[in-house]
Amino acid sequence: MAHADTTHAPPAHEASAHPPAHEEETNTGISHRKLLMWVFLGSDCLFFGSLIATYMVYRGQSIVGPYPIDIIDVPITTISTFVLLMSSFTMVMAVAAARNGNQKRLIQWLVCTIVLGGGFIGFQVYEFNLFRVEGLRYETNLFSSTFFTLTGFHGAHVTLGIFWLICLAVISARNPAGRPSGEDVDIAGLYWHFVDIVWIVIFTLLYLIGGFDAGPDVGHAAAQGWQWITGIIT
Amino acid sequence: MSSNPGHEGALPHEEHGAHEDAGIGRFFFGRVPAGVHGGLKQYGLLAIFLAIITLVEFLIIVPEGLQGSSVVIAPLVILSVIKFFCVVAFFMHLKFESPLLWQIFVAGLALGLVVALSLVLLFGVFRPTPRAFSENRQAPFEHHAEEKPHYEALVVPTPCPVGACPTPGGNVPAPTGSHPGQALFVGVGGCSACHTIDGVAQGILGPPLNGIGSAAANRLPGYSAEEYIRESILEPDAHAAGTADGLSQDYDGNLMLSTMAGILPALSDEDIENLVDYLLTLQ
Ligand code: HEC
Repeated sequence: MAHADTTHAPPAHEASAHPPAHEEETNTGISHRKLLMWVFLGSDCLFFGSLIATYMVYRGQSIVGPYPIDIIDVPITTISTFVLLMSSFTMVMAVAAARNGNQKRLIQWLVCTIVLGGGFIGFQVYEFNLFRVEGLRYETNLFSSTFFTLTGFHGAHVTLGIFWLICLAVISARNPAGRPSGEDVDIAGLYWHFVDIVWIVIFTLLYLIGGFDAGPDVGHAAAQGWQWITGIIT
Repeated sequence: MSSNPGHEGALPHEEHGAHEDAGIGRFFFGRVPAGVHGGLKQYGLLAIFLAIITLVEFLIIVPEGLQGSSVVIAPLVILSVIKFFCVVAFFMHLKFESPLLWQIFVAGLALGLVVALSLVLLFGVFRPTPRAFSENRQAPFEHHAEEKPHYEALVVPTPCPVGACPTPGGNVPAPTGSHPGQALFVGVGGCSACHTIDGVAQGILGPPLNGIGSAAANRLPGYSAEEYIRESILEPDAHAAGTADGLSQDYDGNLMLSTMAGILPALSDEDIENLVDYLLTLQ
């Protein structure tokens, strides 16, 4: 969006409060960038959908330990989930600040979001490392492979989001005159919230529900694989 | 936005007066004009609400009896669906956006769900589970071995690579004086990597061969047990054993075929006869 339509550019102090003059008209009434972001998020649903499904298919199928129950720490992950959730809140506040053209607030909220996001990644690094020490490596069993693939890709999304937000914060610190625009922050926000909702799903399925799966000698629901669905269908 | 001439050409949220306060009730439940946004009040409230849901989710699985039980699945899923859509509708302000964006996102979401569901149905429900397939090789995790000594009894040594057993000792060694076919079975024949014979070998990829000496006679009409076993070794794909033969699962004839291609040249005709002879003794 490097339009340099400066003739219509509003004065700097109003820059983000008003529609940026260079915003082109689109026949959907939605800016192309925003539309593209939503299309991407829709497709990312498919991406994570497949990874989650893969985990669920192999859930309770590992024949060597450690099994989730040996290793998953639900209380700690509840805290990191909370941290990520709060980062969504600070993010939406950053978007609001950008929309109101309040550059100082924008930077403050962005920094909060970056710190919280970094905290979440910190939890994940701690968790992955603990798993490794306890003997759960990527190739240990079906649980570990599917778990690390899914949560690893999610962590990568968060990391990317952190870099994105750092860029926004740096840009707005160095250039207080109207950049990033409300929409720049808005789009980063969409991505950030999406990563949060993916975690909502992962947290529920892998931790709250799947975190107690045990080995083959335990006859509880998960150990039966998905046979209970067959029960419902028939 | 074409339905609303006043908004034409401008992005809804960048409309003048975009940050007018919608009020809490209207923000969450009411019909607000496109472009209305929340502030600290609305978003803060939502954040608290979401945090409470997370706490409730956690509390649900605190009682040990509920951990991993299927009773909690429904409430947990419902709670997280609520969280999911709250974030999408308000934090991602999809509620205040053009319906097109809803449609795009919901289309992606629906497609993702369909893919996920099909995967689970195809590979989780309608097929034998990998665990059932390889249950007899389950290995304990350290804690389990301590707490459940019977685990030790379940542990099965991993079979040596096909055709490359250093000594027959990789599995149960062939007792001296046993049938020469048995030595071949656990040794150069490599059969023990895939087949189980109680007390002799514990492979998991092929059907167990206990009692094959008598069962073989009923596999194919017109075949004697000896003919069937010989054909199974020389042309494993000719008849793939499966559930129709009263076995617990269908086996892949090509699996043995491809491996045998590497092993057969090393076996003399006499070796084959010894193997057939040996398997015939398993009644
Ligand atoms: C790579 C794994 C593998 C190896 C090695 C292997 N088999 Fe098999 N075997 C199979 C599979 C899979 C089947 C089932 C498919 C079929 O019936 O062709 C089978 C089937 C058989 C059957 C028929 C069983 C029945 O119930 O109908 C016999 C007999 C048999 N194998 C003997 C042998 C002998 C003897 C050897 C060693 C020379 C051997 N196999 C080596 C995988 C293997």
